[in-house]
Amino acid sequence: MTQILIQGFLLSGLYALIAVGFTLIFSVGRVLNLAYGAYLVIGGYAYFWLSQTLGMPKIVGVLLAIVLGAVIGISKYRLIVKPLKGDHVAVEISTLILAVVVQAGIVLLFGDASKILHPIVSGVSRVGGATVTYNILTAAVVSWVILIGLYLFVRFTHLGRALEAVSMDVKGAAISGVDPDQMNQLTWAISGALGALAGVFFASYTQLYPGMWVTPLIIAVAVVIVGGIGSILGTLLVAHIIGFMEVISTSLIAAELRGVFTMLLIIVVLIIRPKGLFGRAEL
Amino acid sequence: MALLDIDKLSAFYGKAQALQDVSLSIAEGDIVALIGTNGAGKSTLLDSIMGQVTVSGDIRLKGESLVGKPTSKIVAAGVGYAPERANLFAHMSVRNNLLVGAYTARDNIADNLSRVENLFPVLAERAGQETSTQSGGERQMVSIGRALMTNPSILLVDEPTIGLAPKVFNDIAEALRRLNAETGLTILITEQNVNFALTLARHIHVMETGRIRVSGTADELREDAALAEAYFGH
Repeated sequence: MTQILIQGFLLSGLYALIAVGFTLIFSVGRVLNLAYGAYLVIGGYAYFWLSQTLGMPKIVGVLLAIVLGAVIGISKYRLIVKPLKGDHVAVEISTLILAVVVQAGIVLLFGDASKILHPIVSGVSRVGGATVTYNILTAAVVSWVILIGLYLFVRFTHLGRALEAVSMDVKGAAISGVDPDQMNQLTWAISGALGALAGVFFASYTQLYPGMWVTPLIIAVAVVIVGGIGSILGTLLVAHIIGFMEVISTSLIAAELRGVFTMLLIIVVLIIRPKGLFGRAEL
Repeated sequence: MALLDIDKLSAFYGKAQALQDVSLSIAEGDIVALIGTNGAGKSTLLDSIMGQVTVSGDIRLKGESLVGKPTSKIVAAGVGYAPERANLFAHMSVRNNLLVGAYTARDNIADNLSRVENLFPVLAERAGQETSTQSGGERQMVSIGRALMTNPSILLVDEPTIGLAPKVFNDIAEALRRLNAETGLTILITEQNVNFALTLARHIHVMETGRIRVSGTADELREDAALAEAYFGH
């Protein structure tokens, strides 16, 4: 039981980190960024190359992966999303194609074999009979700190309020002096940075391989659909529901069920509560 | 020099032309009303000033052209706008809605907030309430208040009385009158309610199918029997 509780909390923290960047894009830009998982792949491989191939310090590897994620996020917005001017279907198709292109590029550069990332923080502890790796503990703590920071940023700063304003009413934000284009660009940068960071932790929790964008994308979509579009608190809560559901199903029923209940939950929520459990169209 | 000069302005939604060669000037400190029926082009004219519509011609604020600028720059230049649909941030509190309006005017937040809450005391009493739960009149007050938080040189108010009870729109008229008298703020409103416009504005332009048909002072238009019959129905 202790093992389930601890693993549930830790995995949920990681899932929240994975989902929050996807949520931001959806609520501010109203874009379903199907290439979101590609940020995780790029972040994971950038960290692998910088830290394990070039031998840079781990923290430098993590920071540069985050910067790369932000740059790719901005580039994606300026080169694909903005020129398509709100054509959601075209954006979704383009971002999905982009994810496949990124996967092919990674295969070309690094090969298609899985790679093992060294833990960012090494070490293991036993808490109440449960095994806790410092790596996943760090991922969970970083995730909670980022989510709380993001919540405070949105609630209590001019820039955060401007982001929230764009997510609620673009014209209202514009006539208040907020530039929606700048806010969208900022959101794509934050989303890319968070996705890349999540990729480093996710890859070090599982494995690094070119197709690793699919699972995080399903997690992100699930959190957004079940939590409701755009709610940071909803993201945190639903990430915990999904995280615990996975830990319980894989620990008590069968390891093969990983992800199955998450997808079933998406279908159930879409049928009985399409706006999500905490659904409101804002951050 | 006029505060706001509009020169041969035409506006387009795709291929449809919504304004045709509209020209008008608004002096600093004046209250001006654009009146006309639905579809006359009143809201399009305000949206054009705010850079929300494709236009030809020129719009100048204090001699500086606003055409081609993004809306955020037009707000920073000194144009405050309370649109007909309010476009509030429905799940934000009243206070946060007002604070978003201060995005480009952060040096004057305390003064502007005090001015808004002095004008509409109910906004101070309900500072923490989400605007989605407010009445139409209160939402209109938040909308005007948010525009004032941008520290404007001119305030544009689109149909401030639409859908409101007479008591509420009298309160809003009184607030706009006070604002103009106490601070000298220039105000441009659009209205279908002719009596409201005549009691508030000093200068009036009557719009029809995207053009200005008649212009004059409120007294001139009120006393011209033919115009009163044609446009005001009395």
